[in-house]
Amino acid sequence: MRARALRAEWTKFRTVPSNLVTLAAAVVLMVGPGTLTAYRAGEGHQGAGVFDAANISLYGGFLFAQIVVGSLGVMVASSEYATGMIRTSLTAVPRRARLLAAKVTMFGAVALAAGQVASFASFLLGQVVIAAAGAPAATLGQPGVLRAVAGMGVVWALVGLVGVALGCLLRETMIATTVLVAINFIIPIIGPRLLPEAAGAAVTTYWPIAAGLRITTTVADPARLGPWAGLGLLAAFTALLLAAAFALFRTRDA
Amino acid sequence: MTAIELKALTKRYGDRTAVDGLTCVIEPGRVTGFLGPNGAGKSTTMRMILGLDRPDGGGAYVGGRRYTDLPDPMREVGALLDARAVHGTRTARDHLLWLAHAAGLPESRADEVLRQVGLESVARRRVRTFSLGMSQRLGIAAALLGDPAVLLFDEPVNGLDPEGVKWIRELMRGLAGEGRAVLVSSHLMSEMALTADHLLIIGRGRLIADVAMADFVRRSSGVLVRADDPEPLVKRLTGEGAEVRTVADGGLVVGGMEAGEIGRAALAAGVALTELTPQRTSLEEAYMELTRDSLEFKAVAV
Repeated sequence: MRARALRAEWTKFRTVPSNLVTLAAAVVLMVGPGTLTAYRAGEGHQGAGVFDAANISLYGGFLFAQIVVGSLGVMVASSEYATGMIRTSLTAVPRRARLLAAKVTMFGAVALAAGQVASFASFLLGQVVIAAAGAPAATLGQPGVLRAVAGMGVVWALVGLVGVALGCLLRETMIATTVLVAINFIIPIIGPRLLPEAAGAAVTTYWPIAAGLRITTTVADPARLGPWAGLGLLAAFTALLLAAAFALFRTRDA
Repeated sequence: MTAIELKALTKRYGDRTAVDGLTCVIEPGRVTGFLGPNGAGKSTTMRMILGLDRPDGGGAYVGGRRYTDLPDPMREVGALLDARAVHGTRTARDHLLWLAHAAGLPESRADEVLRQVGLESVARRRVRTFSLGMSQRLGIAAALLGDPAVLLFDEPVNGLDPEGVKWIRELMRGLAGEGRAVLVSSHLMSEMALTADHLLIIGRGRLIADVAMADFVRRSSGVLVRADDPEPLVKRLTGEGAEVRTVADGGLVVGGMEAGEIGRAALAAGVALTELTPQRTSLEEAYMELTRDSLEFKAVAV
């Protein structure tokens, strides 16, 4: 039964051509700008105190890609409301928790798979250009590198699921996407520059996406959370949003 | 055979009661017309039957169970609520495909229902290029996918050309003929008159009439009769099985008998008639009469 709902969600996803195009665009946005920023960072590596070659090859592209992955997650949920499809979906799978669980599982798996492809491609290409720029490149065998690269793929999946939760909670694509960009981009990146120092430091350390990205670092920073604690915080935040989405979805009229 | 049962079904939006204690049974083997002015609560009732809206009181049951408790909902109930509620960039076949997957049906069912509704030639076209009529057909294909015993159609003929209207009418008659319960909503009596075996008329969320179409027709027509000496005539007419009502000014309204028969009955009773006028209250007028007090929006002369 659950397998049917999951299969139906996958069919729904793959039969809207723009979904697959958007997913591919997210991978390209990760690898393209990621490789460029990695090359620039490689050129200037002597000026930097710590040179985390693995993280550098992942972070630059993710800033772009995460907006696309998150928005796609939003769309997976909110487009059902925009088109009215939600009523058809619920007549096909009337148990609300089952429908949402199928959606979450489907998109989580899709984002995870695409995220791993993007992350490994971004890492491998990034190391090539870092070496070409004359900087010390990382290899997957080095301590923490495989964890950082595979962890990046997991962060993709979590960002995608935050999108699904927001899309389901807010139902309006524009509103949900705006909130998503605020949560994953504006607050963690611009916030620390605008806020008082202590608050800014707290955002840098504990804001879910900032904490989650610690999994992609291979150099310890005593001022920040450890890789697993950081990823755990992002996962807990995602789980909380999803729990809210499930609770509301179960009681709301469609 | 599966029926739909509504038991004191109630839905409120704020202080407005959209559906107010609706109790009735939608029987298998016939087309039940669900009739009422706009805003009477027809769509809300259908959404509650399908578990989309949560009732504030009472319940809706399909074969004795709530829709959300059905193990295989699409094989028991098929519904067309809003033909435009599809994702426009999906093809017609893909739309049916995900539904088939959700219901655990073979993909060949998608092709079968596409053929049944006459959309096979556009199966691989994107739905947003469809006319309203084609969308209605796709919505009906989706409803038929699981070969269900119960079918709900919400205003299925809206925006259809005459050929499409005729097609849907014949389809619904055929589905009921196969023993299925068919509930079809409309705000037009004229459409129901040609399709429905039974009528559920609601206004302001309340059940106004739960009546066989034939009874409704009989009730809404009659012959106005005046006679010098009505009493023996009334006795004679009722003796022959007619329904006789006395109207305000002493005239009689006779139901269930043609004017010619009444004339012959009067002759046999030896009563002279002073008037014999067949009244053709249209079904539309009879329906308007019933629902006049429950219109949500009324045009007011100024």
